[in-house]
Amino acid sequence: MELIFWGLIPLAAIAAAVAGRLALRPDRKANARRRPAAHTDRLTMLPEYQAALRRHRRWLVAAAIACASLLTSTVLAAARPVEVTTIRPEQHNRDIVLCLDVSGSMSSADAAVVDVFARLAEDFQGERIGLTIFDSTAIQVFPLTDDYSYAQEQLKLARDAFDGKPGTSGFLDGTWSGRGSSLIGDGVASCLNSFPPGTDQETGNPPRSRSVVLATDNLVSGKPIMTLQEAAGIAKNRAVRVYALNPGDLDYGTGADQPGAQLREAAEYSGGAYYALDSPEAVSGILTAVQETEATALQGAARAVVSDRPDLPLGLALFSGLALAAAYRRLRP
Amino acid sequence: MTTLLQRVKSKMAIFAHRKARGVLDGEYGSVFRGRSLDFDDLRAYIPGDEVRDIDWKATARHGSPLIKRYVAVRRQTVLLIADTGRNMAAVARSGETKKDIVVMALGVMGYLAHRHGDVVGLVSGDSAGTGSVPAKGGEGHLERLLRRVHSSTSGDAAGSRIQEQLEHVARTVKGRHLLFVVADEIAADPEMGRLLRRLRAQHEILWLTVRDAELAAAGDWYSVDDSSSLVSHLAQSPAVAAAYGRAAVERDAGRENMLRQAGITEGSVAGSHDVVTALFALLERHRRAG
Repeated sequence: MELIFWGLIPLAAIAAAVAGRLALRPDRKANARRRPAAHTDRLTMLPEYQAALRRHRRWLVAAAIACASLLTSTVLAAARPVEVTTIRPEQHNRDIVLCLDVSGSMSSADAAVVDVFARLAEDFQGERIGLTIFDSTAIQVFPLTDDYSYAQEQLKLARDAFDGKPGTSGFLDGTWSGRGSSLIGDGVASCLNSFPPGTDQETGNPPRSRSVVLATDNLVSGKPIMTLQEAAGIAKNRAVRVYALNPGDLDYGTGADQPGAQLREAAEYSGGAYYALDSPEAVSGILTAVQETEATALQGAARAVVSDRPDLPLGLALFSGLALAAAYRRLRP
Repeated sequence: MTTLLQRVKSKMAIFAHRKARGVLDGEYGSVFRGRSLDFDDLRAYIPGDEVRDIDWKATARHGSPLIKRYVAVRRQTVLLIADTGRNMAAVARSGETKKDIVVMALGVMGYLAHRHGDVVGLVSGDSAGTGSVPAKGGEGHLERLLRRVHSSTSGDAAGSRIQEQLEHVARTVKGRHLLFVVADEIAADPEMGRLLRRLRAQHEILWLTVRDAELAAAGDWYSVDDSSSLVSHLAQSPAVAAAYGRAAVERDAGRENMLRQAGITEGSVAGSHDVVTALFALLERHRRAG
């Protein structure tokens, strides 16, 4: 227990001393409005009067104690009693950008990804999540945020759009500019721009672990400005891991130039992983991989947390006030 | 500036308008007249005169009641005995200061004596000391006596103790006098009773009690003794007021009993407006008591 404004205590003590001195100063004019009476002992020596006087004095003492306690407790409360505790906040320093290819063939996979993250977001603590969709151009639906309710709201909107609910097609507006379709490299590069620039001064690493969840079938039609490989290079430069989910892996062979193989290569080049989404372990696999990146979840520096604890003095003040009111009621002529 | 005696006279004049003029003088005369056997003259009957003083033969001849007057062999001496302690600077039952009532009572009695041709002396004081003024006649002398009482009674005076004045009288005064004692509600005690019986054996005594204020009634009071204040709402609480009332009744009964046993007639007065009435009643009672 410490006091923030401890200077109030001596000030209050001085004020109380001055007030007490003024109050206890013998008042020479006290008898001015009273009338002189002889033989007052004939009244004051009566046992009944003595008993009443003793009761009166007891209530006076009670009132004085209540008054002193009220003043003390309010001064204590005014001096802001605080409890200082040191905590080491465990931080979940993850930034996750969902990077979804919204070309026609991907809608069911996108819906699954969005669905998974809408669920995951419920348990997030400190993570930041962002959503970028792309087809021929990329649209940032919402930037990295820890406003999970907002994120969930947006993810649900996205899911409705991917499911093709009526009236939601506007969600995808702006992702198609006619220069082609599924320009993966451009999309990934745009997603990478969602991460704030800057690195930690000491380690040279970004202060928060970065990962991109990329859902695409890697079927490019058109000419992207940037190839997937170039985008993967940028991701590696910026210490971003790309976790690729491919719902259409089975359609092609295992050659190195197949879209799935290229995607796997790009993802693993950046330090991420590659999953075929239609396999049952897809969701939990993503989770596991992303949890691993949490290894960098730093322990935050020890912080002193100052929390106000006015409950005790204020409770005492309330009690004293009630006692004073009761005493006043008894003392009132 | 009106003198104290003028106030007394105006008070008596008001009374005289209500009762028949001269009644007080008649009462006083029948109580305090120094009787002798030497017949002086006859005068018309004044209500209040002793009936046994009526000369029935002369009355029968004259047609209206006539009173025999005797030559007084000596001038009576009326000794006013007053308490001038600080208790008398307190408030009486009527709300006036008790001192004013005392001065009024002494004045009325002294003026009656003066009109009757008697000389008036004063013994006054408090617990610290007692002073006396030898008996003399004249309104100027009476005014001086009243002023002495009026000026020496204050809140700064010593405590009241009427025994001191009575003992002073018992010690120093020789011969038979008429004592007129004005005090407040003293409590009865055996010592006092003995002293009163001793005085009564020598003197004729009239006792006037000035009623004290009701402390249990409304009002804020402080004690003239030590300036301590009374907690008024405690004093006015029913239990305390009832106990105070009981104690007051007992005290009054004790004092009346003590005075009666000593053969002293007592009257009581609550305020200056009923001083003359109270004195009249006192004289009347004393005359009946013989």
